[in-house]
Amino acid sequence: MDASHTTPVETSRFQMRALIVGIICILLCVVGAFLITDGLRQFFHAYLMGYVFWTGVSVGSLAILMLHHLSGGGWGLVIRRILEAATRVIPLMFVLFLPVFFGIRTLYEWARPLETIPEGHREVIAHKTPYLNIPFFMGRFVFYFVVWGLLMFFLNKWSLEQDRTAEPGLRKTMQGLSGPGLVLFGLTVTFAATDWVMSLEPEWFSTIFGLLIMAGWGLSAFAFVIIVASRLANRPPLAGVIAPLHFHDLGKLLLAFVMIWAYFGFSQFLLIWYGNLPEEIPWYLERMRSGWQYVGLILVLFHFAVPFFLLLSRNLKRHARTLAIIAGLLMVMRLVDLFWMIAPVAEVHGGGALGLVLNYWMYLLAPVGIGGLWLSYFAHQLRQRALLPINDKGMENLLEQAAAARHHHEPELQGIDRPEHI
Amino acid sequence: MSQRVDEPHDDMRMHITAPVIEPGYDFGTVTDKISAIVLRRRTPPGWFFGFSISFIITMILMVTITHLVLTGIGIWGNNQPVGWSFDIINFVWWIGIGHAGTLISAILLLFRQTWRTSINRFAEAMTLFAVACAGLFPLLHTGRPWLAYWLFPYPNTMGIQPQFRSPLMWDVFAVSTYGTVSALFWFIGLIPDFATLRDRAKSRFFQVVYGMLSLGWRGSARHWFRYETTYLLLAGLATPLVLSVHTIVSFDFAVSVIPGWHATIFPPYFVAGAIYAGFAMVLLLTIPIRKLYGLEDFITGRHIRNMAKIMLATGLLVAYSYMVETFTAWYSGNAYEEYMIFNRFKGPYMWLYWLLIFCNAVAPQVLWFRRVRHSNVAIWIVSIIVSVGMWLERFIIIPVSLHRDFLPSSWGMYAPTLWDWTMFIGTIGMFFLLLLLFIRFLPMISIFEMRTILPQAEIREEEA
Repeated sequence: MDASHTTPVETSRFQMRALIVGIICILLCVVGAFLITDGLRQFFHAYLMGYVFWTGVSVGSLAILMLHHLSGGGWGLVIRRILEAATRVIPLMFVLFLPVFFGIRTLYEWARPLETIPEGHREVIAHKTPYLNIPFFMGRFVFYFVVWGLLMFFLNKWSLEQDRTAEPGLRKTMQGLSGPGLVLFGLTVTFAATDWVMSLEPEWFSTIFGLLIMAGWGLSAFAFVIIVASRLANRPPLAGVIAPLHFHDLGKLLLAFVMIWAYFGFSQFLLIWYGNLPEEIPWYLERMRSGWQYVGLILVLFHFAVPFFLLLSRNLKRHARTLAIIAGLLMVMRLVDLFWMIAPVAEVHGGGALGLVLNYWMYLLAPVGIGGLWLSYFAHQLRQRALLPINDKGMENLLEQAAAARHHHEPELQGIDRPEHI
Repeated sequence: MSQRVDEPHDDMRMHITAPVIEPGYDFGTVTDKISAIVLRRRTPPGWFFGFSISFIITMILMVTITHLVLTGIGIWGNNQPVGWSFDIINFVWWIGIGHAGTLISAILLLFRQTWRTSINRFAEAMTLFAVACAGLFPLLHTGRPWLAYWLFPYPNTMGIQPQFRSPLMWDVFAVSTYGTVSALFWFIGLIPDFATLRDRAKSRFFQVVYGMLSLGWRGSARHWFRYETTYLLLAGLATPLVLSVHTIVSFDFAVSVIPGWHATIFPPYFVAGAIYAGFAMVLLLTIPIRKLYGLEDFITGRHIRNMAKIMLATGLLVAYSYMVETFTAWYSGNAYEEYMIFNRFKGPYMWLYWLLIFCNAVAPQVLWFRRVRHSNVAIWIVSIIVSVGMWLERFIIIPVSLHRDFLPSSWGMYAPTLWDWTMFIGTIGMFFLLLLLFIRFLPMISIFEMRTILPQAEIREEEA
């Protein structure tokens, strides 16, 4: 492998630091879980939130990778290796499900013995037992990861083979898997969303929920990739290959994801508000009082309105660093969205300002902790391979253009943010 | 090797995929070939045949409307408990068909998909005529169409304001905006071509008519600059309409609390269904027309295959919605929701439901196979099946959800009357009538845009 095509050396330092931060945060959470009142309850909900978020970055990357194989285009080639490294974290997420399994009875009302469930819920939960029961829940969990793992395995294997053999047929092979792969992605994520998040309140249901989580996962994966790409953009091997044009395209797709998420979220809200049915509306009522309404408002403003208007700007999308800032904001907002969905279920109250800190600090540390492990593993994976799929047919074109642009002193394609070249 | 550095996408696509225009054409021959259909070539006998048939069917529509207006909407089959039926089914069906036109012309333009160029004009025309057909149904369902302006919020002596909380009201605005923007987009797209026709027409009458329509277009650089800006802006305006119109149509149902209507997935599900039906209709029309007029060089196999792929993708989304709806009906634990699905599966209209599943979810899966995507006949058959399926889908959603009310004492059955059928088939006739007139008198492929995708156009740009 050509050494000049791998990641910059800083990545290994980052890998170590992320691992340390991750472990410290997780340990703090574990200690907190046993020390403070209702600590376990808080721990499991906070952990679930972080787990769903980071699994979303991996599985969302898998979906974007398949979209890229299906549609082609320069934007996908320059980020393909980042996407592939993110998908290779899927096995880690399989292992990290363990705490959710331990907390299953704390998290999910349906997992508790039927006699202990309050009268009002008992009948509807009993109805759902054929689906919502621990063995089937775990079986489904394994199934999702087998599907994601197989898709990840083959797409990564063939991509590596392409590097080695330059066999042109591999492009079609990867494309061939990506079509059915996306179908499987849609089905598995829908049921994973139902299992992990929607069933936290087993009496509630919404048909768009799977799509809503899919859009959220896609959005967080895209935002993540943009951040990584912007960090790598002005160093070899990506410098000079990844151009403002690519960030422009990535920015457009990010905007599309922001709009799709808002569209799904608004549709769900409007229809449930309008119908005002006793089995549906409590979900929103709970999230529109006792302070949760402000979290909701933050989502409306910063998960949709602000990024939407900012991303309309062409200049902003072409500027890697500013685009990365918006992507960072969106990643935070993805966490806020999951917080708004998951944390109200924990129903931990009281204690004034101090109580607010005591009852919610793990929602900050748990995602950082899982994120530390995730990022460390990701950095390790990213270092394993060339950062560009050098033998892909489209790559030739891309490099040629970059070379031509350098030759003609074309400022646009040279570096990412070097205004002095004008 | 010099390349256009700004557009690596298009370049890359050029290398790896089939052409969007067959080789051997230059600016002159492209213009000749398309404008000749309107100006010089003899109208084929098939055109007259089609025109006569659709004219007769349109006359049936006229008779129906006359009878309807004179008698009242009681001549239709919908009555309690099925208050909505053919009128809304056909409205939704037609408006959905229109969506492919807007998608092709606006969204694919913004995404720089050059393959859209030869089919956009045709698809936009289809949109316009489909919206016209769609609009007839709610308009006539009001019973007194001459009072339709009551739907608009205007200051009146009766002190009546429309109900703004009703999605039916939003529909009025959404559909009228959609119709207006589609017409504008189509007309503006035609202006340079009108000028071409004006310059090439032999008869004084057509020179004057096309001359007036071309609004004094001379093709100066400034004209083109402003033109391109306007066109892009309109594309930006039309893009949200693809989503908003059918989203609001889905709200017509989903804001209610009727099982089978009230589902949060309805907005994206309806949008996907609309695009699905729309592409089926574009394929249904273009495959025979390109053959009839010998336009295979312009509307190539790649166009057909790409459209087939979009049809497959949106079809999968529609199938996904059926699956989620069924699962959630059980998962909800709500007796009415569960009964709704049971009634679809095993109720009196079950054969229509299973036919729908076959048409929309099973049959299009053949498009996974490359061999099928390379056979125009097969794609054509699939698009007929899908068009039928999308009509059935609206039948299942509307009357089948309504005919079983919450109280068994209010249950009923629904059957369309003769006038329901003549109205529906009549609009199909009107659609084809308008389409045939369009093919005869206007360039069905955008001449000036076709010139821009010729290889010659690329070279000129580089030299400049």
